Amino acid sequence: MFRLQGSKVLAVEMAGDAVKAKNGSMVAYDGQMAFKKLSGGGEGLRGMVTRRLTGEQMTVMEVRGHGTCWFADRASEINLVTLQGDKLYVEASNLLATDAGLRTGTTFTGLRGASQGNGLFTTTVEGHGQAAITSDGPAVVLRVTPQYPLSVDPGAYVAHQGSLRQSFQSGVTFRTFLGEGGGEAFQIRFEGDGLVYVQPSERNTIAGDV
Amino acid sequence: MTAHSGQPGHPGQAGQPGRPGAGPVVYDPVTLPADDNVNNYTFCVELKGNEWFLQKGKMIAYYGAIEFNGIGHGRLDRLVRTSFHSPLHASDWVVASGSGKMLLADRAFDVNSYDLDDGNLTIRSGNLLAFQPSLALKQSIVPGFLTLIGTGRFVAASNGPVVFMEPPIRVDPQALVGWADCPSPCHHYDHGYLTGVLGGLRALTGLGGVSGEEHQFEFVGTGTVLLQSTETLMPEQHTGAVPPEPGVPGSGAPGAAGPAAGLPRLPGQLGDLQRRFGL
Repeated sequence: MFRLQGSKVLAVEMAGDAVKAKNGSMVAYDGQMAFKKLSGGGEGLRGMVTRRLTGEQMTVMEVRGHGTCWFADRASEINLVTLQGDKLYVEASNLLATDAGLRTGTTFTGLRGASQGNGLFTTTVEGHGQAAITSDGPAVVLRVTPQYPLSVDPGAYVAHQGSLRQSFQSGVTFRTFLGEGGGEAFQIRFEGDGLVYVQPSERNTIAGDV
Repeated sequence: MTAHSGQPGHPGQAGQPGRPGAGPVVYDPVTLPADDNVNNYTFCVELKGNEWFLQKGKMIAYYGAIEFNGIGHGRLDRLVRTSFHSPLHASDWVVASGSGKMLLADRAFDVNSYDLDDGNLTIRSGNLLAFQPSLALKQSIVPGFLTLIGTGRFVAASNGPVVFMEPPIRVDPQALVGWADCPSPCHHYDHGYLTGVLGGLRALTGLGGVSGEEHQFEFVGTGTVLLQSTETLMPEQHTGAVPPEPGVPGSGAPGAAGPAAGLPRLPGQLGDLQRRFGL
């Protein structure tokens, strides 16, 4: 059972079950806990190979035991995500913990990843259960429906879930090259049905200065 | 000037800590507030065919059809003429126009909106995020500051929540965000560090102890002073150069400001040493 203690610490109560968490993110626990590093993100040999090949590295540990375990990562804000059979797409560096029952994997993101400076691949989380993702400042959760598509700055994008199509939208015109650009040269456009997590801060991206 | 605190007017804030069981609030274009805070760090602007000025790169997401244009753009010339009077740093600002809802945020700093009613406000350049074109933006003659004049709403970021104070007051230079409706501040130095040879040596070397609070900005008159709750400054935004004319502060022109010829001034020194020794 995941619960937030304050906004920057995740408390997980366990009764013999397990969670997967970012390596080294445990800050405290009571009761009996065992920590085991999972190679290749706990996705077996195939996961090890794909994560090595795609550069979407994720060092994960499995925590199993009885009691409460607290997790935190560099004082960043934590957001809880509940998955009911749908798929969460998140950068490996923003994924703090997942229920052990959730499957994780990697997927190709194309231009969006490149525009964020995060590489061409991202991590997926799938199944039924809870996950915790981190963001710089509390994330705003925005719903996308077919009549309300959403455009997001690549630097502020954290994660999304549901069945969303993403396309890359560029505001680059001849004016950008004259130094009179709109400052928002690239956006990711989400269409379909789902949720998008946006943080109130922008990573440095190529598009940031255009 | 009226301020709107970071807390939105309705319950159920996204990312609200310490409320077990309650999931995160999910926003869509209907539930997003109009021209108000979504949470302490995010502000939502509603556009219905009107325009907003915003600093480059502060938009994080938007619904609807919104266009971002650099303000050198010909179609916006009229707008620039009426509400943008700092052509020398125009490239840092864009105009958002169209219809929809747009979220603004700045490096996870606190964000607040303020209403000016036929008033004026001077603000540190790095803190101003966005404003309505019914306000006019001008460079302040205090270097590094901008002044907004008129009626309308603007959005400013601060490192930690903003505190409002009324003059007469002396404030720490690093905590100052801006001031509204009152005369520009002047410097204030503690008397003990200004007088005598010992005071001079102490200010120069730090020997004998400095508290770090020997220098303040002093406000008098009536108005409001805005302070942030930390002394960590937000990175400064370049306000553009001023014309190199005599009499213009910060222009570096001869006869403007600056020490008279003589001994070079050492860093950290409050007054010229030769004057202190009566030479």
